[in-house]
Amino acid sequence: MTNFAFRKDVQTRIDEIREADILVGIPSYNNAKTIGHVVKAVHAGFAKYFPEKKCVLVNSDGGSTDGTMDIVQNTTVEDYQSVLLSHRVSPFFKLTTPYHGIPGKGSAFRTIFEIANALDAKACAVVDSDLRSITPEWVELLLKPVMDNDFDYVAPLYHRHKYDGTITNSIVYPITRALYGKRIRQPIGGDFGFSGRLAKFYLTKDVWETDVARFGIDIWMTTTAIANNFRVCQSFLGAKIHDAKDPGADLSAMLYQVVSATFDLMETYGDVWKSIKVSEPGPVFGFQYAVGLEPVAVNLDRMLERFSLGVRELKDIWKEFLPQGVLAFLDKAEGLKKEEFNIPEEIWVEIIYSFAVAAHKKKMNREHLLKSLTPLYIGRTASFVIEAWNSDAQEVEEKIERLCKVFEEKKTILMERWD
Amino acid sequence: MNIYETVIMEPFQKFYDKVIQFLPNFITSIFILIVGIALGFLLKIILSRLFTAIGLDKASEKSGTVELLKKGGVTEPFSALLSRIIGWITVIIFAGISLSALQIPSVETLFERFLLYLPNIFTALLILLFGYLLGNFFGRAALIASVNAGVRFSNLIGKFTKYLILILSGTMALEQLGIGKGTIVITFAIIFGGIVLALAIAFGLGGRGLAKDYLEKKIKSEEKKDEINHL
Repeated sequence: MTNFAFRKDVQTRIDEIREADILVGIPSYNNAKTIGHVVKAVHAGFAKYFPEKKCVLVNSDGGSTDGTMDIVQNTTVEDYQSVLLSHRVSPFFKLTTPYHGIPGKGSAFRTIFEIANALDAKACAVVDSDLRSITPEWVELLLKPVMDNDFDYVAPLYHRHKYDGTITNSIVYPITRALYGKRIRQPIGGDFGFSGRLAKFYLTKDVWETDVARFGIDIWMTTTAIANNFRVCQSFLGAKIHDAKDPGADLSAMLYQVVSATFDLMETYGDVWKSIKVSEPGPVFGFQYAVGLEPVAVNLDRMLERFSLGVRELKDIWKEFLPQGVLAFLDKAEGLKKEEFNIPEEIWVEIIYSFAVAAHKKKMNREHLLKSLTPLYIGRTASFVIEAWNSDAQEVEEKIERLCKVFEEKKTILMERWD
Repeated sequence: MNIYETVIMEPFQKFYDKVIQFLPNFITSIFILIVGIALGFLLKIILSRLFTAIGLDKASEKSGTVELLKKGGVTEPFSALLSRIIGWITVIIFAGISLSALQIPSVETLFERFLLYLPNIFTALLILLFGYLLGNFFGRAALIASVNAGVRFSNLIGKFTKYLILILSGTMALEQLGIGKGTIVITFAIIFGGIVLALAIAFGLGGRGLAKDYLEKKIKSEEKKDEINHL
């Protein structure tokens, strides 16, 4: 375990609270607009579902300048009757602290794990600070499987728009499922429940100076839990609606961090994934229902333009590790019109596995390698958008299921090339 | 008799004396050269094994040195190449020492000058090597970044970055060798300044419409944006 020191005021607060049954962490950075709602939902969740337990809310902030931390401090549920609550409620504790380390969600989580460890929390959860669809029930759904059913890790299960979560749908979910054999539909969902035992285990890992400290934290938490045989389940939380991301956020940096963390984990858990042959569904909690989702705008022309530009300019880089067949296909696809454009599952799986092997064999600088994946990912996303244009949620899920099957079928090829 | 001694014998005697005087130096010089060659050969074998044992080949593969060498047509392992270079450096150093052991003033001066100049050559080679590595690295980084940013002339940006670094390192290497010291820096500054000015004028004149379109799009937000949340 690496050394970690709290700020003096945080340490004093921890000493005052001493220990906790339940801890919910909210990482934040300039989320003043939405965090109030998240705090209220968590507070109401504590009061409604865990009135007898000692509950702590931790806000781990990345240096917000819009008063996010003040909002967390000043927000409470004043009218308990509005959440249909009449029984006695134990006081709950709030702790806000800026995190230190590499700026990113992972560093914020590390601080939350450290506080959970210091308070010896039995069950913990983390929820995003930009959520608009969070309800008090999320607190129950993420924590009850840990408290009552002895699960160590609760992954979220949401209904999302068919064009939402494309890195999850086209890369992270299928590859995690094929490699580790557990069908966790939202491995990088962002809202998780976990046991105090697992939080302590996370802290034994020295990963806080890597991509895990940034966007890689979600896949790292999920994979670490699965690969180390912790008991894993999913909870259905309804719709995931959150604040629109900063449009200037760099897609290639985000993709690089997530994919890099996924490939790093392939190195760490090589012995685990090589021995797994098939995937299996796990236990799911929560009552599933259909939800209406906000439409998502896509600019297909721009996506295809980016794909074509990438194929034209980066082909020489890909030549070093992509199979001839894939390169020939990309050459052909580059000139296709929107109506004819399609990147089939088989080609996409070959691309991802080839990138994984190239990263493993250190064919070139890792950042260059993985950032060169961006145009291909945009191409695959465009292909998916075209394919799913007239599909409903059920049909889209079937398409994703088909992709997962191809990832599983071609795993033997990955293993052959890996060694 | 006197004439015979003065004209014929005396020069021969002098030559003989000089040969006798020079012979030990010559033998020492040959001996030093042989030792140098043997030591260079021995060092090459020992270092090659040592470098292989400590995993230098794997490390060089990771750092991209192997990729660089392959591009330059060198296919032998990095450990073998490095040990061969060290072996040859040893031989060259001993060859120099053996030359100075001859104690011929002009050779000694030449050798001294060569020795003093040697670090400059070595530094210049290092600068060129790093320049080549950095040029390739940053050229590729610029190419990928501009493709991901959707810039149409990404290839040009990548190549410009690469060759700029190569030219810069070439200039620095020549400066280090003391060749046309001031001239090279001034030439480089003029060429570089000229390129920037030419580009500025070209973009200014040729890209007016493009800049106008771009600014209009940015300010009026006409381009339809994606709302896809990728994670």
